[in-house]
Amino acid sequence: MPKAPGRAHDATDTDNPPTVTDTMPNKRPHRDTIHVENARILERAEHPGDQVILRVHAPQMAASAEPGQFAHIQCDPDLPLRRPISILRVDARAGWADFLFKVLGTGTRRLAERRVDDLLSILGPIGKPFEARMTHRRPLLIGGGVGMPPMVFLADRLREIKGAYEPFVIMGSEVPFPFEARPSQIVVPGMPEGVIAAMPLLDDWGIASRLASQQGYPGTFEGYVTDLARAWLDALDEEQRKEVAVFACGPHPMLEAVAALAREYRLPCQVSLEEFMACGVGGCAGCVVEVQTPKGPAMKRVCVDGPVFEASAVFPAA
Amino acid sequence: MVHKLQKDMLVSEFCGMRFDTPLVLLSGCVGFGEEYTRVKGFTNRDAGAVCLKGTTLEPRLGNPPHRVCETPQGMINAIGLQNPGARHVVDEILPTLDFDETRFIANISGSSIEEYAEVARIFDDSPIDAMEINISCPNVKEGGVAFGNDPDMSARVVEAVRAQTEKPLITKLSPNQTDIQENARRCIEAGTDAFAVINTLMGMAIDIEARAPIIGNNQGGLSGPAIKPVAVLKTHQVYQVCRDHGIPIIGQGGVTTADDAIEFLIAGASAVGVGTALFYDPLVCKKINDGIVAYLERHELTEVAQLVGTLVLNG
Ligand SMILES: Cc1cc2nc3c(=O)[nH]c(=O)nc-3n(C[C@H](O)[C@H](O)[C@H](O)COP(=O)(O)OP(=O)(O)OC[C@H]3O[C@@H](n4cnc5c(N)ncnc54)[C@H](O)[C@@H]3O)c2cc1C
Ligand SMILES: Cc1cc2nc3c(=O)[nH]c(=O)nc-3n(C[C@H](O)[C@H](O)[C@H](O)COP(=O)(O)O)c2cc1C
Ligand code: FES
Repeated sequence: MPKAPGRAHDATDTDNPPTVTDTMPNKRPHRDTIHVENARILERAEHPGDQVILRVHAPQMAASAEPGQFAHIQCDPDLPLRRPISILRVDARAGWADFLFKVLGTGTRRLAERRVDDLLSILGPIGKPFEARMTHRRPLLIGGGVGMPPMVFLADRLREIKGAYEPFVIMGSEVPFPFEARPSQIVVPGMPEGVIAAMPLLDDWGIASRLASQQGYPGTFEGYVTDLARAWLDALDEEQRKEVAVFACGPHPMLEAVAALAREYRLPCQVSLEEFMACGVGGCAGCVVEVQTPKGPAMKRVCVDGPVFEASAVFPAA
Repeated sequence: MVHKLQKDMLVSEFCGMRFDTPLVLLSGCVGFGEEYTRVKGFTNRDAGAVCLKGTTLEPRLGNPPHRVCETPQGMINAIGLQNPGARHVVDEILPTLDFDETRFIANISGSSIEEYAEVARIFDDSPIDAMEINISCPNVKEGGVAFGNDPDMSARVVEAVRAQTEKPLITKLSPNQTDIQENARRCIEAGTDAFAVINTLMGMAIDIEARAPIIGNNQGGLSGPAIKPVAVLKTHQVYQVCRDHGIPIIGQGGVTTADDAIEFLIAGASAVGVGTALFYDPLVCKKINDGIVAYLERHELTEVAQLVGTLVLNG
């Protein structure tokens, strides 16, 4: 299963001091885990709502990337500070990686202007990935907006362990989905009448998915991803619900709602967070978020202590 | 001409320490020394020294987000000296570093003269190679730049730290002050062995939709290529004071290429800092080192020291 890549001692961590033995000179597993690649753009697809999907040739990153990890990308040499973008999919054998991003400001606009055959400086894979456990064989994956990519990647990995997991994926978006939705071939318990649209890629993989939006797209649930998640959870029996673990990536308010839902149903929940970054490798402490630890609040770096965190540490019960 | 191996051309002596290259990785940009080793192809061996993150007596959580943002030709940061405290650094982190790879320099901070002295005392009893006194941090309310802007206070901090240690002492000067030369003179009298010139300039960036500063701390330190001309001038000015005392300088601010580094050497720096450029390109040190060697060869020089302070002012 996705395992944590090697981590350097968290030097800015005041509550969880590293032990000397796990970072002895001959034992520094964090070293050489992130690659710098001049990645050629192989394919580029534009979607409504200023969304772009890029496929790049980045064989070193593709070989070791895990769901939840991201790449730190130089959008344009004139804008040298990199921008973090989640890894959507990789093919380790072919050496490519996909990204989905939405134009937000200068950096992402420049990135959207890059064309096939252009070279992109890519630093990756970075960060602590999602960790699925066999004890929870019904993962619920929730992706909102440009939080969808890590969920697709996680679904891809879960299906590799044939029959071990039975995931359900909910994608939410307030701009048109960056794929052509189609009626699902897979029956999902608890779905309201007419909620049949699925992400074709996931359907082809045999993974159940449904879509949610306030925009009334055909076949899509009109409402929040959490409402659709609740409908699904309520349709499961007690034993099945105990096998659910929640994984989420998306806008902060969505993550907060997902965390609250997970708390209500007593489900383990991991969320992927965003924060402005400079180095992307743990050096500057520029990307921290406040998390709760047994010893009180701590500032954790999204780039290497995250981006995936336990929801309960980020959104403690009120 | 004596023929030297290329890597030997980069070697120099700095306050009695051997620097394998003239590059110094700057405080606050490389955590506590191991963070960048995550990147394949990066090695601390490409730097003569590595400055650790600013360290105070007690742990500090630092400032609220956002802490960094890009600005034209640079960036603003306001980290607020997040660090686990001097005791933790000495007991838990220093033992994990490989001192064969490079020289490690502590960056010490405080909000009172006593605190600076206490942090220095803790590091004195450790394998750390040298200490850099940060009297120029713009991002904490108390201490920091407040000491650095006042030559009297600067000298008192240096004196107090000097009393605690025989290790090489580097005083990091702020560009946000009226008379950097007077400050340098006073710090030399107080016992500093070297200078780091310059720390960040204070700046602000505003989100025009929210009409609020982007940085959580409202203001922060500007670094990167935007500040290089200021840093080169300040290095030149401090060198005027240092030259006769044989006091070396780590020139810094906006270095991204070998040409930038060479500018600082000519202006009077004996070593050159690299900070923000690592965020752009984690493998930049190798490129800068190669460029310096090529320059030395082209000018028939055999070592970096021959370049230091060779500036010829116009008529
Ligand atoms: C781990 C991680 C994964 C991400 N994955 C994706 C993804 O797969 N697809 C996608 O479209 N976006 C993703 N984002 C968000 C993306 O990084 C920002 O949209 C982007 O940095 C905005 O840059 P800009 O210059 O276009 O915007 P501007 O608003 O002009 O940016 C100004 C500064 O703020 C920073 N910034 C602004 N918003 C964000 C943000 N939400 N997160 C981080 N930095 C920000 C920028 O990096 C830049 O330094 C991710 C962010 C993180 C932290
Ligand atoms: C994110 C960040 C954090 C920094 N933290 C410190 C610090 O803790 N102590 C210090 O003396 N300088 C600190 N600095 C200043 C740098 O060490 C350096 O002097 C400055 O950035 C100029 O060099 P550059 O343009 O090459 O980055 C920091 C700079 C940055 C960008
Ligand atoms: S971006 Fe520098 S520590 Fe995370």
